[in-house]
Amino acid sequence: MAPNPPPFSQKSQSPSQPSGKSEVTDLKLQLRGLAGSRAPGSDDKKRDMFKRVLSYMTVGIDVSTLFSEMVMCSATSDVVLKKMCYLYVGNYAKSNPDLSLLTINFLQRDCKDVDPMIRGLALRCLCSLRVEGLLEYLVGPLRAGLIDDNGYVRMVAALGVLKLYNISSATCIDGDFPAMLKNLMLNDPDAQVVANCLLSLQEIWNLEAAVSEDASMEIEALLSKKVVYYLLNRIKEFSEWAQCLVLDLVSKYTPSDNNDIFDIMNLLEDRLQHANSAVVLATIKVFLHMTLSMTDVHQQVYERIKAPLLTLVSTGSPELSYAVLSHLHILVMRAPMLFSSDYKYFYCQYNQPSYVKKLKLEMLTAIANDSNTYEIVTELCEYAANVDVPIARESIRAVGKIALQLYDVNAIVDRLLQFLEMEKDHVTAETLVLVKDLLRKYPQWSHDCIAVVGNISTKNIQEPKAKASLIWMLGEYSQDMLDAPYVLESLIENWDDEHSPEVRLHLLTAVMKCFFKRPPETQKALGAALYAGLADSHQDVHDRALFYYRLLQYDASKAESVVNPPKKAVSVFTDTQSSEIKDRIFDEFNSLSVIYQKPSYMFTDKEHRGMLEFSEELGNLSLGAETTDDVVADSQIYDASDNDLLLSTSEKEESKAPLSGGSAYSAPNYDNASSSLIATDTQPESHLGLPTYNPQSNLAIDDLLGLGLFVAPSPPPLKLSPKPALDPASFQKKWAKLAVSLSKECSIDPKGVATLSTPQALPRHMQDHSIQCIASGGQHPNLKFFFIAQKADSPSFYLVECLVNTSSAKTQLKIKADDNGNSEAFLSLFLFALSKFGQSL
Amino acid sequence: MPVAASAIYFLNLRGDVLINRLYRDDVGGNMVDAFRTHIMHTKELGTCPVRQIGNCSFFYMRISNVYIVIVVSSNANVACAFKFVVEAVALFKSYFGGAFDEDAIRNNFVLIYELLDEIMDFGYPQNLSPEILKLYITQEGTRSPFSSKSSEKPVPNATLQVTGAVGWRREGLLYKKNEVFLDIVESVNLLMSSKGSVLRCDVTGKILMKCFLSGMPDLKLGLNDKIGLEKESQIKSRPNKSGKTIELDDVTFHQCVNLTRFNSEKTVSFVPPDGEFELMKYRITEGVNFPFRVLPTIKELGRTRMEVNVKVKSVFGAKMIALGVIIKIPVPKQTAKANFQVTAGRAKYDSSIDCLVWKIRKFPGQTEPTMSAEVELISTMGEKKTWTKPPIQMEFQVPMFTASGLRVRFLKVWEKSGYKTVDWVRYITKGGSYEVRC
Repeated sequence: MAPNPPPFSQKSQSPSQPSGKSEVTDLKLQLRGLAGSRAPGSDDKKRDMFKRVLSYMTVGIDVSTLFSEMVMCSATSDVVLKKMCYLYVGNYAKSNPDLSLLTINFLQRDCKDVDPMIRGLALRCLCSLRVEGLLEYLVGPLRAGLIDDNGYVRMVAALGVLKLYNISSATCIDGDFPAMLKNLMLNDPDAQVVANCLLSLQEIWNLEAAVSEDASMEIEALLSKKVVYYLLNRIKEFSEWAQCLVLDLVSKYTPSDNNDIFDIMNLLEDRLQHANSAVVLATIKVFLHMTLSMTDVHQQVYERIKAPLLTLVSTGSPELSYAVLSHLHILVMRAPMLFSSDYKYFYCQYNQPSYVKKLKLEMLTAIANDSNTYEIVTELCEYAANVDVPIARESIRAVGKIALQLYDVNAIVDRLLQFLEMEKDHVTAETLVLVKDLLRKYPQWSHDCIAVVGNISTKNIQEPKAKASLIWMLGEYSQDMLDAPYVLESLIENWDDEHSPEVRLHLLTAVMKCFFKRPPETQKALGAALYAGLADSHQDVHDRALFYYRLLQYDASKAESVVNPPKKAVSVFTDTQSSEIKDRIFDEFNSLSVIYQKPSYMFTDKEHRGMLEFSEELGNLSLGAETTDDVVADSQIYDASDNDLLLSTSEKEESKAPLSGGSAYSAPNYDNASSSLIATDTQPESHLGLPTYNPQSNLAIDDLLGLGLFVAPSPPPLKLSPKPALDPASFQKKWAKLAVSLSKECSIDPKGVATLSTPQALPRHMQDHSIQCIASGGQHPNLKFFFIAQKADSPSFYLVECLVNTSSAKTQLKIKADDNGNSEAFLSLFLFALSKFGQSL
Repeated sequence: MPVAASAIYFLNLRGDVLINRLYRDDVGGNMVDAFRTHIMHTKELGTCPVRQIGNCSFFYMRISNVYIVIVVSSNANVACAFKFVVEAVALFKSYFGGAFDEDAIRNNFVLIYELLDEIMDFGYPQNLSPEILKLYITQEGTRSPFSSKSSEKPVPNATLQVTGAVGWRREGLLYKKNEVFLDIVESVNLLMSSKGSVLRCDVTGKILMKCFLSGMPDLKLGLNDKIGLEKESQIKSRPNKSGKTIELDDVTFHQCVNLTRFNSEKTVSFVPPDGEFELMKYRITEGVNFPFRVLPTIKELGRTRMEVNVKVKSVFGAKMIALGVIIKIPVPKQTAKANFQVTAGRAKYDSSIDCLVWKIRKFPGQTEPTMSAEVELISTMGEKKTWTKPPIQMEFQVPMFTASGLRVRFLKVWEKSGYKTVDWVRYITKGGSYEVRC
């Protein structure tokens, strides 16, 4: 650390820290002394003082107590001082709304200054105060700013309107500011003014779209041919950033015919040569989206944009090239063939950061075909020896994936087996998993592989996945591996040291398989395994052991046909991402979606954020994390079942059984509900309890599962308060605080789903049942609602998160309650209300 | 939506805030804490420059000993955000005069605030052109003792000039001596297999210019690239002169270059900004002359000794001299010491990077110095693990040489007053990622 100037020497972590108090008082006195001074040179002194104040502000010392002194000192004509003062005021106005009234006077005066720069700065400062009480003082100067004869002021004013909208949307809309912006956008000679108008209009109408129907018309108007062509014709006047904005708008425009498309593309082609990577990417997006319907041209576009993209990747900072590479990645994944001759660009350099390498490896994998596999695999094998362990693993996986794509399997199997001889634990582990996958696809290689795998000592393998793979091979090929029963036996002896349930599950299955092939040698081990499995604390392991035990007891030959059926080689491994999701990401080209490789609704939920005002996200971290998990959960379930192909086919069926059982048992639930509906419908108030319905449905479930053990005591009828009172902020707090008391997945009436084309239908419906919606959001097919309900005459609340998938007509519920005892009753009430959704229409 | 940054932070390596600017209310104040606890103080640091925490996405970039973090809450345009940071840093550098680090930020924080105000408003990038910003910025960077005079007031009607068709150049510039400096800087990337075959070789080049020209000059640059020459011979219906032509894979230009004219006539014509700027960038993969060949032989003699022989051949013209050549030959971690014999330069063992470092300050063309080293290893306990060799890496600079063979054929300056200009053209080739596996 170099010696710091004194004001910075204290490390201040939080603004509330008392440090610097005496300095602040000292500053206060000095500022007061200077305030009225008009002496020559006083401006210089003031500058120094202001600088000190700002430096305190920067390190996080609270200097808001100096507010009035700062304002007093700012009566000056010195631009430098003014700027510093604006900065200070902008920073503290929000926390001191009363004091900021003091600044209005001089800000308003500055808004009328002769110097356009001061006018602009003052207006910017005024708009950035973010204090609702001061709105009335803002409207006038803003209106004047929009028609100022100086471009700088108009430019500031155009964004000022957006700021105004964010403080108070009503003031902005009622003040007819959007219309002024629109007029300005179409007529202003200054390109930056036009750009800022466009920015503001886009954001305002997008936010407004949730509440007003005019907004969508306005958005369409922005996307009209007239506006788009007007902006395109001026594109060269715009700054590079504004060009990105215009290009983004154009990419949403629907051209009227093919000529339209070619006109636009011809006009924009030179943008691909622009030095700013953001402009190039934005142009690429326009090209790709415009030509989606024209396959030939679309392909030509790929050829055309390839070179600029590769240039962008190879120049610039690693972060930037990562951003570009991610986009290249999505294109490569869409059309690997077109890039197959460019594989050398995706070779990794030794010093590149691993996030870049990882993307490159994935691309190398994707573009491998008959002509380049040899080179690519040779290169990947180099990386397997890399010091960077994650990359080494990644590259081994890549080799495996290429093998599974059917290219040059022979050579690859040899290579993989060589990896096993490298005697590096992580390499061995990764390779074992791959060899297992390969054997499932190409059983004909088992002989070569087993010979090598048999030599690996289980002691050297610690990773669960690798161990599970090895165990699977031991079980599957126990007839070819001499010591398979003994290896398994020694593994079973150490049952308690095996922490991963996955490994234990595989151990059970493997020892079963081995038993059917070599009974005398394995019998002892099987007994030990079943014994250990039955005593296992993990539910799945216990259940599987029990299942095997009963199976064997029932009929050993049946058991063999279940555990060890003749298997077909797997022909295709499933893709982890659905094509629908991929298309969505592609639609959102040139945004974060591409980096995260998931569509935006999975990580931003603007609408619901807008309503809940999720401003202190970090307080809600868990909530945010949870929501994304939930949405992904769906796909993960499928992933899991697809990936877990270690399970033999019969086992798969076994694991599917409870799933189908699941949907079966929810069905009667609903029959019950709808039949009881008729009865309850006649009742005047629908928030009456449903005591008869609830235990019945519980029983139905229990019967189906054949468990008949648990009969829930019928909960006291639950009455809900018709008007639950909870404001969003306390909802958030509660949600973060409480644990999930119940969660449930169920289906909803397809008719109800149909009405969800306007998501507000569900909240309206639930309101009839005294369940209030507090926030909603999401996009089709994944909608999300937060509901609250309050127990009548009691402060106890129920909070519900309800995820609706409109394509599968399923909902996932999560209920949190102040009083967990009643949450079952509430759930049934909620389900009842939900089941009525769509039928009352 | 482009960037829409909610906040931008400048942090030092400890995570202290040097500068922050909140543009929007949609993120809380404890973003820095989130960044510190979720990224900075975890292994995540450096694994990915884009991260999601809660509902916000963090884009971060390390520049010398400073982290620049942009926080967004919407589905923002990442490339745009990073490009913005890169450009902003370049801008700051031009104000501080070179370095961008913690000290420079501390010494210039008022200036940075002022710049941030102008280059980004409400989270949207505004104008980053240094020429235009000069009109608004009152502070001066503390760059050198010479420029410590108090700040000048900007011309009152300065704002009018923003909107001219040539946004990057002010009118009314006057120089006594009109000069143009043009540098072609190429960096060669090479990846060679242990068997000596070239796996990958390309050149990324840029043309840097420094213009001190009066008025509004029009410049035209001619290169010996294939398409340009063909186009020219087409237009002038004159047969192509014999001589080497270069095929550029791809070119990008500074915004001052008239792209329409480039596409139709393939000439690079432009009105340059005043001072220093990067005119164009290009990429070439065909016909690259890489300047050095490295021929390593590494023999492991038993468990504790290794013999390393490296011969480096310079394959450029005998009259040229490469400067600052550094060859790094990796050795195992357990290296104890190494004895060297070199025919040129100096060699030593650097234990911090586990490499034998061979430096040759001046390396003439068409020579082939060698280095041989005997490396002694500490015998390790336990089983012997195979040593995976990282590639040999090389750094160098070869002035007056372009690996691609690109040459400037002409640089014409035209201005209505018709003054004479002096132009200076330089070429230099640097080692980019120059790797030879062994």
